[in-house]
Amino acid sequence: MKSLARIWTIAMNTLREAVRNKLLYALLFFGVAVILAGVVLSALSYVESERILQDFGFAAIRLFSVAIAIFVGVTLIHREVERRTVYAILSKPLSRAEFLLGKYVGLLVTIWLQMAIMVVFFVAVSLVTGAPLDAGHAAAFALIAAELAVIVAVATFFSAFTTPMLASFFSIGIWALGHMTRDLRDIGASSISESVQSTTALIHRVMPDLESFNFATEAAHGLAFAASDVWLPLLYGVGYVSVLLVAAIGIFERRDLR
Amino acid sequence: MQQHERRIVRIENIVKDFRPGFGLRVKRVLHGISLDVNDGEIFGFVGPNGSGKTTTLKVLMGLIRATSGEATILGHSVTETAFRREIGFLPENPYFYSHLTGREILGFFAKLSGVTRGRRKARISELLEWVGLDHAADSRLETYSKGMLQRLGIAQALVHDPRVVFLDEPMSGLDPIGRVEIRDLVLRLRSEGKTVFMNTHILHDVEMLCDRVAIIVEGRIRYQGVIEDLVGSGLHEVDIVAANLSPETVLELEDRLAAKLRGVGERVEIRVAEKEVNDTLRCVLAAGGEVVSVTRHRVSLESFFLSTVEGGSEIGE
Ligand SMILES: Nc1ncnc2c1ncn2[C@@H]1O[C@H](COP(=O)(O)OP(=O)(O)O)[C@@H](O)[C@H]1O
Ligand SMILES: [Mg+2]
Repeated sequence: MKSLARIWTIAMNTLREAVRNKLLYALLFFGVAVILAGVVLSALSYVESERILQDFGFAAIRLFSVAIAIFVGVTLIHREVERRTVYAILSKPLSRAEFLLGKYVGLLVTIWLQMAIMVVFFVAVSLVTGAPLDAGHAAAFALIAAELAVIVAVATFFSAFTTPMLASFFSIGIWALGHMTRDLRDIGASSISESVQSTTALIHRVMPDLESFNFATEAAHGLAFAASDVWLPLLYGVGYVSVLLVAAIGIFERRDLR
Repeated sequence: MQQHERRIVRIENIVKDFRPGFGLRVKRVLHGISLDVNDGEIFGFVGPNGSGKTTTLKVLMGLIRATSGEATILGHSVTETAFRREIGFLPENPYFYSHLTGREILGFFAKLSGVTRGRRKARISELLEWVGLDHAADSRLETYSKGMLQRLGIAQALVHDPRVVFLDEPMSGLDPIGRVEIRDLVLRLRSEGKTVFMNTHILHDVEMLCDRVAIIVEGRIRYQGVIEDLVGSGLHEVDIVAANLSPETVLELEDRLAAKLRGVGERVEIRVAEKEVNDTLRCVLAAGGEVVSVTRHRVSLESFFLSTVEGGSEIGE
């Protein structure tokens, strides 16, 4: 119980710091601008203008949220060590695990909040242009939120032991690979070489399968879906995040903070 | 048992190696240091810059891991976290979140330290006044001067009313008034019965404040004990004022007798260890110099310190 209170204290301070960070607003502004630009773009199209609007909106939310998540996430732990703010904090009755979890939760809440703002604009432009909104959209947003939880965990993981420069390099790499790993596995599976098959299968196993969180097409095109299409990826996300955070804590606890 | 209770901090044979860069090269910063801090004392950990004071404190705070050896605070291994409710720490050149105000940062640390909600507000106001920051309590830290940050750092270390307080160079970088203020704060801590462990390279502060000291040079403890024992232990120095000295004689005195010379107008003041007095006088007279005065006095901590650092010899316990 006390432990949760300490994690929450760190988290809320992380949120407060982010809220006072002007760069975050710049990225958020661009995200919203792109969603609004979708209105213009869809107006230029004769066919399926509502779908174009929403495809565009989903893409904007996913890209800008991930950008903010990586951009802020890679400095999350590293900056605390570099600026030595961590010294006084860790001299308090607070474990390094609690500190790291607090930072993670704080950034995740931040990212989810800014995503919520973009979702508000998405809903607004949909209502104004008369584009449909249904359960599929809610599912798509929940899965984007889950993908963000994974991305923030990836960035936090690297931030726990390497510089923002390298951490963003690795995080962007994993994000890109995470979206290709499914196709890679399928291509590999059709290969005649067994080692290619097992290698691509292994990459798919180890890398986060981020396409499993991509529900935008189904939502924008109003396709039917099963409940398991949503909760299975959510469960996968929770598992993946847990593994990453345990690894990050393991590394961070062994580090000399100097 | 009684003896054990009194020892608040125990460091036994701590070795710390750093690996700068990615190479295999190892740099030994602490060469097996041992020391004890007793209940209720102001303990001075003294040494020149780069001697390993901060490194030792980081080991105690669990920020870095000792390569070997053992350190305990209040009987707990420094790798534990729960007992930190009982200790406070002022880092060297403290830096806190600059997006927060003084009051907010103390609230943050109070929550982390488990100060109950009911206690928090009053405790923070009390501390802000105590360290003289009540006027700046609601300004963001980016507007704080170095002295203000230092005082906020002390407030932060005390927010949960700990039994033991660790201060890393609390007086460095402050103007004379700021130093006097911090000195008063430290003395008030002792009067409240707290134990204070203080890193410093400013000897004047040690002489003014500390009950006991350990002197560390290049990662090795050179002396540990009471200052009076150190400076009043029969170690005396003699100041000889002489005139008519040739430059060659001055050089000889410096080289052969390790004398410290200072020009005073036409005259030269020669400071030597007590046992060198006769040789020095003989040397001065033989060179045709003239002895003006001879004064014997107790060794100051400063000259003791300098001789320890330069000579590198093991003194004391
Ligand atoms: N992170 C580090 N990596 C390598 N060497 C270090 C590191 N931190 C300190 N040192 C070295 O350890 C020695 C002791 O440093 P420090 O404990 O900061 O001394 P002090 O606090 O007494 O001035 C110095 O020679 C310093 O260069
Ligand atoms: Mg230091």
